[in-house]
Amino acid sequence: MFENLAWLILFLPLLSVAAITLFTRSKPRASAQISIFAVIAAFVLSLIVFVFFRGSETNSLPQASVPWLWVGDFKADIGLRLDALSLGMMLIVTGVGSLIHIYSWGYMKDDPGFARYFASLSLFTFSMLGIVMADNFLMMFIFWELVGISSYLLIGFWYEKASAADACKKAFLTNRIGDFGFLLGILMVWAVLGSLNFQDLEIRLVPHMKDYAPVATAAGLLIFCGAMGKSAQFPLHVWLPDAMEGPTPVSALIHAATMVAAGVYMLCRVFFLLNVPGSHALEVIAWIGGFTALLAALIAVQQNDIKRILAYSTLSQLGYMVMSVGMSGPTAAMYHLTTHAFFKALLFLGAGSVIYAMHHEQNIWRMGALKKKAPATYWTFMVGTLALSGVWPLSGFYSKDSILAQALETNHIALFVLGVFVALLTTFYMFRLVFVVFFGGARSEAADHAHESPDVMTWPLRILAVMSIIGGVMGIEGLYTKQFAPNAEGHAAGFGQQLLAPFSHSPLAAYLGLFAVIMGLGAAYALYSRSLFDPLPEKLGWLSRAMRNRFYFDELYERVIIPFTQEALAKFANAIDRWIISGFMVRGASGTTDLVGRALRLLQTGSLQTYAFLLVAGVALVLYLVLLR
Amino acid sequence: MHIPLEHYLIVSGILFSLGLLGVIMRRNLLVIYMCLELMLNAANLALVAMSRFNDNLNGQIMVFFIITVAAAEVSVGLALIVALYRKRQTAHVEDLTTMKN
Amino acid sequence: MSILTNIILCPLVAALLLCLVPRNYRLIMRIVGMVATFISMVMAIVMFWRYDSAPMGPSGSFKFEEMHKWVDALGISYHVGVDGLNVGLILMGAIVAFAAACACWEIKEREKEFYILLLVMTGGILAAFASLDIFCFYFAHELALVPTFIMIGVWGRGENKNYATFQITLYLSIGALVSLIGLIALYVQSGVQSFDIVTLTEQLKQHPLSARDQNFIFPLLLFGFGILVSLWPFHTWAPLGYGSAPTATAMLHAGVLKKFGLYGLIRIALPLLPQATHAWLNVIAWLALGNIFYCGLVAMRQKNFNWLIGYSSVAHMGFVFLGIASLNLIGITGAVLVMIAHGFLAALSFGLSGYLYNTTGTLEMDKLGGLLRRMPFVGTALIMAMFAGCGLPGFANFAGEITIFFGAWKSFPLVTGIAVWGALVIGAVYMLRAIRNMLHGPLPEKWQAVAESTWPLRKLPYLILLVSLLVFGFFPQLLTDKIKPSAQKIVTMATGASETVAQNDEPPVVKAKHK
Repeated sequence: MFENLAWLILFLPLLSVAAITLFTRSKPRASAQISIFAVIAAFVLSLIVFVFFRGSETNSLPQASVPWLWVGDFKADIGLRLDALSLGMMLIVTGVGSLIHIYSWGYMKDDPGFARYFASLSLFTFSMLGIVMADNFLMMFIFWELVGISSYLLIGFWYEKASAADACKKAFLTNRIGDFGFLLGILMVWAVLGSLNFQDLEIRLVPHMKDYAPVATAAGLLIFCGAMGKSAQFPLHVWLPDAMEGPTPVSALIHAATMVAAGVYMLCRVFFLLNVPGSHALEVIAWIGGFTALLAALIAVQQNDIKRILAYSTLSQLGYMVMSVGMSGPTAAMYHLTTHAFFKALLFLGAGSVIYAMHHEQNIWRMGALKKKAPATYWTFMVGTLALSGVWPLSGFYSKDSILAQALETNHIALFVLGVFVALLTTFYMFRLVFVVFFGGARSEAADHAHESPDVMTWPLRILAVMSIIGGVMGIEGLYTKQFAPNAEGHAAGFGQQLLAPFSHSPLAAYLGLFAVIMGLGAAYALYSRSLFDPLPEKLGWLSRAMRNRFYFDELYERVIIPFTQEALAKFANAIDRWIISGFMVRGASGTTDLVGRALRLLQTGSLQTYAFLLVAGVALVLYLVLLR
Repeated sequence: MHIPLEHYLIVSGILFSLGLLGVIMRRNLLVIYMCLELMLNAANLALVAMSRFNDNLNGQIMVFFIITVAAAEVSVGLALIVALYRKRQTAHVEDLTTMKN
Repeated sequence: MSILTNIILCPLVAALLLCLVPRNYRLIMRIVGMVATFISMVMAIVMFWRYDSAPMGPSGSFKFEEMHKWVDALGISYHVGVDGLNVGLILMGAIVAFAAACACWEIKEREKEFYILLLVMTGGILAAFASLDIFCFYFAHELALVPTFIMIGVWGRGENKNYATFQITLYLSIGALVSLIGLIALYVQSGVQSFDIVTLTEQLKQHPLSARDQNFIFPLLLFGFGILVSLWPFHTWAPLGYGSAPTATAMLHAGVLKKFGLYGLIRIALPLLPQATHAWLNVIAWLALGNIFYCGLVAMRQKNFNWLIGYSSVAHMGFVFLGIASLNLIGITGAVLVMIAHGFLAALSFGLSGYLYNTTGTLEMDKLGGLLRRMPFVGTALIMAMFAGCGLPGFANFAGEITIFFGAWKSFPLVTGIAVWGALVIGAVYMLRAIRNMLHGPLPEKWQAVAESTWPLRKLPYLILLVSLLVFGFFPQLLTDKIKPSAQKIVTMATGASETVAQNDEPPVVKAKHK
C-alpha cells in the first residue's frame, strides 16, 4: 500500500508536466497551481510514507519494481527503494521544492513563460525524485539524464539571452562528460557482478569480491565521474557558476537543494561499492572533494555578483560533502547535505528577494543598507548566513562538525586542517556579502528605492529559516546513521544533550570550528563593515585577480583544452572527410569513370556510316575468329 | 544444264558485298536504302539456292517472310526518309549527325 | 490475403490510381497519397497489435505469412511474413510513410509524378521488409530506390542537386550491385535452387557452406549492404544526398529505406554465414566506431543543419553495427531497437528541417537564431528531436543505445567506451550547438516576421513521429518482447550455440557463484 503511494509521489510531478503541456499551456495561473499542487501533494505523501517507515522499525520498505527493459542478462527495472536515505532525500526534494514553487509564484509573476517555467520545474522535480527513489543503477542513470535535461531547460529558461543559452549548453555538456564515466562505471559493475539492482549488488558483492576487487578502483572512480559532473566537483565544476543565468528560484532549487546534491546522494547510495578493501577510489574522492572546497571558497572571496558568491559557496560545501564520503563518512555527508539544503535554499531565495527588491541588480557593490528596507529578507538571510558559517546552535554547526569529526576519526589530518580553513573562508565571504548588502550606506539609486518582497516570497524564507535553525537537533543524523550503521547504538536521547553533543563527542573539531567562525567574522567585520569598495584587490594583488577570474579555469578549458583536443580532432576528421574521402576517393573514382567516358565518346561520330562500318568490321572480326581459326 | 550451288552462292556473295559497300560508302539515304534491299535480296538468293539444293521448302518459306517484312520495312523506311527530307531538305547522311552529343 | 499483402499493396494500388487522375486535380492527389499511406499505417498498427496472438504461419517461424509460386524454375516466389525482427520495422515504415505523405506540402510542381513515386517507394520499402524471398527482397528494394534518385534529381534543392543525385545514384547502385552478387553467390552455392529464406536457412543449417565460400560471400554482403547503410568510409553520399533531397524523400530514405542493408545483414548474412561472421566481427566493430566517433566529430563541424543531421544519422548507424558486432541477444535486440527508433528520429529531424527550410529559405545555422520564440511548435519538436538524437531517456533511441552498450561491453570494452563518448558527449555537442544556433539566442531582425502555420494538419506528421518515439521510449518492452525470440534465433544460428539456451526471464534471483 505504501509502495503504491510512493509510485504516486514519483508520478505526480510528471502528471503535472503532462497536464500543463497538453492542456493549460496558455493559462499561466492554472499551470502554476497544478504544478504547486503536485509538489505539495508529493511532499505530504512523502511525509505519510516517512511516518509509516519510522513506525515500521525496518531498514527499508519492500521494493516495488516493474520490468522496463529485459533482454538476456540486461535487466533494467523501474523500481522504488524506500529506506532512510531515499525517504530523507524525498522529503528534502519535495519539501524545499514546495517552498521554491510557492516562492516562484511571486518571483516569476510577470514572466511571459510562466506556464513553461512551472512545467519545467515539475519535470525537474519528477527527475530528481526518480534519482532519489531508484532501486537500480539504470533507473538512476535514466533520471540522472533527465535531471540534466530539465536543468538545461531551466537554466536556459531565458533562452533569448545569449549568456543564458550558452550557460545551459555548458551545464548540460559538462554533466554529459560526467555521465560518460558514470555509464562506463555502471557497465563495469554490471559485467562483473551481473546485476544492476542496488540490493542485489550488495548481496552479490560478498561472494564475488575476488572478481570485483581488481576493478574496484576503476569502477569506483568512473562512478564518481557522474557525481563529479552533477555535484560540480573539480575539474567539472565550471558549469555551476554559469548556471546562475537561470531565474533565481531555479538556482535555489537546482544548485542548492537538489540537483547538485544528487551526486553526493548517489555516492552514498553506492557507498558499498566504493568502500571495498584494496580500492583507492575513496582516497581520490576525499582529496578531490577537499580541493574543490578550498578552490571554490577562495574564488567566492573575490566575487561581486551576489548569486555567484552563493554559487561558489555551494561548490565549496559540496566539496565538503564529497570529502566526507571519501573519508568513509556517508552519514556526515548526508547530514550536511540535508542542513545545507535548508540554509542554501534560504540564502538563494533571500538573494532572489534582494535582487527583486533591487530591480534585478546583482552586483553587491551597488547595494547597501538593505537591512531597513527589507527586514524580513535581512533577518532570514542572516539566519542562513549564520547557519552556513556554522554558528552554534544552528544546523550548519552540527553537520559541519560531524564532517570535521569524521576527518579526525579516520586520521585525515591534512583534510581536517583544510576543512577548518575552508570554514574560516566560508564565514569570511558570507559576512562580506552580508555587510556589503545589508549594512553601510546605499551605494546606488536602486538601493535607495529598494522595497520588501511580497508575502508569497517572504513566507518560504521564514519557514526555511526555522528549518535552518532547528535542523541540527531534529535527529536527522540518527536517521542516516540507521541507514549506514544499523548496528550503532543511538546516542543523545535528551534535547539538552543533543544540543551539546558535538562538544562532548569530538571537542577538538567543535572548538576549532567555532574558532574558525570567529576569525572569519572578525576579519570580515574589520574589512567590510563600513567600506564603500573592496579593499582586498589592493592588498592581495595578483592573487585577488586570479580569484576573481576563477583561477582562469574557464579560459583554460575554452582556449586550451577543448580547442586542442576534441575540436582539433573534429577539424581533422572534417578535413579527412572533405578532402580525402569525398574529395580524393569519391571524386577520384567518379573522375576516372568520367575520363574513360570522355575517351569513349570520341568514337561516337554520329555518322550513320561510321557505325555501319564498325558493325561490319565487328562482324568480320567475329567471323574470322569463329571460322578461320 | 546443271548449275552447281557454288555459282548461286558466289553471285549472292557478290550482290551482298556490293550492297554492303553501297551502305558504307554512299551518302544519299535513298541509295543506301536501295543497297540495303540489295543485301536482303542477296540473302534471299542464297536461301532459295540452298532450299533447292537441300530439297526442302524451308528456305523458300523464309524468303516469303523476308519479302513481306522487307515490303513493310520499305514503306516505313521510305516514309521516314521523305519526312526527314521535308524537315531538313536533305537526304545526305553527313548532314544528319544530330545524335552526336 | 494476409494483412501484410494489404499493407504492401495499398500504396502501390494508390499509385496506379493516381496515374489515372488528371494532373490539375492537386487536392485529390494529396488526399489519395495521404489516405493510402494512412490505411497502410492503420493496418500496420493492427498487425503489430495482433502480432502476439496471431498463429504461426506454415513455415513455423513467421506470422501473417503468405506465399505464392512465381517463377518456379528459378525458385522465386512471392513470400511475405513477419517475425520479431521486421514487425517493428514495418510498423515504423508505415508510420514514417504516412508522415512523409503529410509533409509533402512543399511540392508545388509536377505533383502527380511526385506522389506516384512516393507511393511506389513506400510500397517498395514495405515489401522489402516483409519479403521472405531474397529475389523479391532485392527487387522491392530497387523498386523503392529508383524513385529516390528521381525525386532527388527532379524535386531536390540547392546548387549541389545534380552532383548529389549523381553521387547517391552511383553509390547506392554500386552497393546494391555488390550485395546482389553476394546474394546470387549465396543462391548458387546453397544448391537448393530456391530464393526462399526459410528454405535456404533450413538447407544451410544442415549443410553449411564451406569456409571458402562463406569468406567470399560475407564481405560482399557486408560492404554491399554497408554502402546502403552508409557504413564508414562509404558514408559521404548520405549527408550530401539528404541535404539536397526533398523533405519527404529524405524522411523515407533516411528513416526507413536505409535500414534495408542492416536488416539484410541481420536476416541473411549473420545466420547463413556464421563462420565468416565470426571472422569479421572485429572489423565490423571498428568500422562502427568510424561511424559513431568519426562521423560524430565531422557532424560537429557542419554549418548547414541538414548536413548536420545527415552526419548524425550516419553516426547513429554505427550503434546498429556495434550491436551486430556484439553478436549476442542483447546486442542484436538493441540493434533492431535502434533501427526502429532511428527511423522515427531521422524522419522527424528531416521533416522539421524541411519545414524550417520552407519557412526561412536557409538552413545555414549562422544565419538563423532565436526561432523558438517565433515558432513554438516546430522549435519544441526540434528540440525534442535533438534530445532524442543525443540519447535522452524517454525517447526510444536511449533504450536501443543503452541495450547495445550493455550487449557490446563484454566483447568490445574499448570500442564500447569510445562509442559511449560518441553517444553521450559528441552527440550532445553538435545537437546542443544546433539548438543554440538556430532556436536559442537573440532573434535576428530578418526573422522577426517568420511564423509557423497554425493549421493542425501541418503539425500532424511531427506529432505522430514524436508520439511514436515517446511511446517506444517509455515502453521499449512493446518491441523487445517481440524482437527477443527472433533475435535469439539469429544469434543461435550465427554462434552455433545450441537451441536450448534458456531465456532466463525470471525475476532476479540471487545466486552465489560456485567455483
